[in-house]
Amino acid sequence: MPPSAEPVLAAVDLHKTYGNRLLGRGGGVHAVAGVSLTLNAGETLGIVGESGCGKSTLARMLVGLERPDSGQVTFHGEPFASGRGAIPRGVRRRVQMVFQDPLTSLNPRMTVLDIVAEPLDVHNLATGRGARRARVGELLELVGLAPELMNRFPHEFSGGQRQRIGIARALATDPEVVVCDEPVSALDMSVQAQVVNLLADLQRTLGVALVFIAHDLAVVRHVSHRVGVMYLGRMAELGPAAEVYGAPAHPYTTALMSAAPIPRPQARHRERIMLAGDPPSPVNPPSGCRFRTRCHKAQDLCAERAPELTGPGAHLAACHFSVPAA
Amino acid sequence: MARPVEAEADGRAPAALEIRDLRVTFNTSTGSVPAVRGVDLVIRPGETLALLGESGSGKSVTARAIMGLHDRGNVEVEMEHATVGGRDLLAMSAEERRLLRGSAMTMVFQDALSALNPVLTVGDQIGELFRVHRGASRREARERALELLELVGIPAAKDRVRDYPHQFSGGMRQRILIAMAVALEPALLIADEPTTALDVTVQAQILRLIDRLRQELGTAVLLITHDLGVAAEVADRIAVMYAGRIVETSPVDDLYDRPAHPYTEALLAAIPDLERPSSELLAIPGTPPRPGAVGRGCAFAPRCSRSTAVCTERLPLLTPVPGHPGRTAACHHTEEVLHAAVS
Ligand SMILES: Nc1ncnc2c1ncn2[C@@H]1O[C@H](COP(=O)(O)OP(=O)(O)O)[C@@H](O)[C@H]1O
Ligand SMILES: Nc1ncnc2c1ncn2[C@@H]1O[C@H](COP(=O)(O)OP(=O)(O)O)[C@@H](O)[C@H]1O
Ligand SMILES: [Mg+2]
Ligand SMILES: [Mg+2]
Repeated sequence: MPPSAEPVLAAVDLHKTYGNRLLGRGGGVHAVAGVSLTLNAGETLGIVGESGCGKSTLARMLVGLERPDSGQVTFHGEPFASGRGAIPRGVRRRVQMVFQDPLTSLNPRMTVLDIVAEPLDVHNLATGRGARRARVGELLELVGLAPELMNRFPHEFSGGQRQRIGIARALATDPEVVVCDEPVSALDMSVQAQVVNLLADLQRTLGVALVFIAHDLAVVRHVSHRVGVMYLGRMAELGPAAEVYGAPAHPYTTALMSAAPIPRPQARHRERIMLAGDPPSPVNPPSGCRFRTRCHKAQDLCAERAPELTGPGAHLAACHFSVPAA
Repeated sequence: MARPVEAEADGRAPAALEIRDLRVTFNTSTGSVPAVRGVDLVIRPGETLALLGESGSGKSVTARAIMGLHDRGNVEVEMEHATVGGRDLLAMSAEERRLLRGSAMTMVFQDALSALNPVLTVGDQIGELFRVHRGASRREARERALELLELVGIPAAKDRVRDYPHQFSGGMRQRILIAMAVALEPALLIADEPTTALDVTVQAQILRLIDRLRQELGTAVLLITHDLGVAAEVADRIAVMYAGRIVETSPVDDLYDRPAHPYTEALLAAIPDLERPSSELLAIPGTPPRPGAVGRGCAFAPRCSRSTAVCTERLPLLTPVPGHPGRTAACHHTEEVLHAAVS
């Protein structure tokens, strides 16, 4: 089970700006502003960050649903998400996505059978109706749903069950990578653990590599081998989960963790760093380090130069004054 | 106006809120929906009670019933007893109750933008409270509005009193809503998921603000949340709600150390703790029931690892937990649950 060190998926300096092209260059939202990462076979890479920091945009670029303005994504070393050409089928099949809201991401007029079989049809992976049904039944069992339910429609299922359907569909093509964008955020708290455990089990049994995006820091720590912390379109910190959580190197990570509520009243009196204000707008991000306007360590240098994501070993931080690893 | 009752027999001030046997039933085209099925709540002055439950458990319906916000048409609201700061809600006219709302009891909603008036400046909205309830002049009202914006931490408040709600960020709008809610120093502030739409760093600011105002003004707070972490951070006491009923009430420390109801116990085992990563989460099977689809026994029984025959037959009542002052639980197996927590 220890994940291998061979990258399946890698992103190099991804940029994505949304904007009104009619109004020229200015005024765009620089949603992702230079993100690089690797995903090793069989590992879970968690991504955390506050809303609007670019997690979903990054996710869509990683699976090829969206093209970066610059930079590239490679699958086993082969670039696929740059330039104009279509994404090779082989890649599309091997890199899948699970969305946050299972109800809006599942077509309400399609049966579960057709929803889960759709990728099989697209990639010609099941020949004949019998084989198709058999494969869908197998996939439903894999995610803990009774195969008898395949003729029903999405609205007949609970939120947790719908998320299982979304996961079954993502697994239909035997992917090597599944990017999960807030897969448990919309679920009731008594149901979240079911889906978290299911994803962890699937990773162990199938060896699939996961990108797990969430704003809940505790859930991300629970599932991830490595964690990336994003702030305003950039990666603030990236490293092994135990190190990022145990000894955060970036002041934003420290602040984010100290703001997260802890379900233990005794923890109430822990020392906390409170950030003032809200994250600034990505339309007009601060110069230099994007976190500097809320950072208690900020100095003149931070406004002048954007810090690189660097560090000793595998634990990286983008801060001129990062805490050296202990 | 209903008169405040005298201090209670033990000399303490009357409860900020006391509700007994609240029932709310919606009459819909597909049948009646018993959303709240007999809820008791008591909050002391200056206390924060967290009403904790999953979505659909009846938290917002409870809050709206206390505030008197359900429309008469398709919903039946019954309660045996209801007082706010000692004033009897059931003996009041609709007009008296309307005046109480916004002054003695106020509410903060999850979605601050839709709770604010988009065509009034925030200064005018806050000021209006003083004009309507306190007969303040235009100038006094504007001064008080500015003080309140400063109190809740709006930066450069002076330059912003004339701004409209959409000109503020989500966190700042929630502060404005809180300013309006505490403007007339209510006995009771109901905050319905006030931070659910906010990011975690802003959530921490807002929770801290509510707590500071509670201390400064002595307001009692009913904090509605689905988040065990949020409840642990700010509550003095917790009431856990499941399928329209309170299943457990407890001082905050005891609840997390030694839950008395299997639902609370199961929830605590199902969520990860940021500071104590463990290898396995114990998932709760099944899903919360829809109101109306609940049998005559305990609503949690179908998902409960401790349920026995009695659980599906007889509804467990919310009763004091022997040997645990200040705690109540609605479970046939409370002893067993408490025992499991220490072993
Ligand atoms: N299709 C789009 N058009 C315009 N702006 C977008 C679009 N998608 C995202 N954005 C903007 O890009 C930024 C990052 O968004 P997103 O990637 O969804 O963040 P996250 O998932 O972390 O909340 C936000 O400011 C958002 O408003
Ligand atoms: N206007 C309504 N008509 C019918 N049912 C309703 C209405 N409002 C709420 N309910 C039902 O009452 C139950 C409790 O809702 P609510 O109090 O909003 O839950 P929550 O605990 O998430 O705040 C839900 O099952 C909901 O469907
Ligand atoms: Mg997103
Ligand atoms: Mg609600």
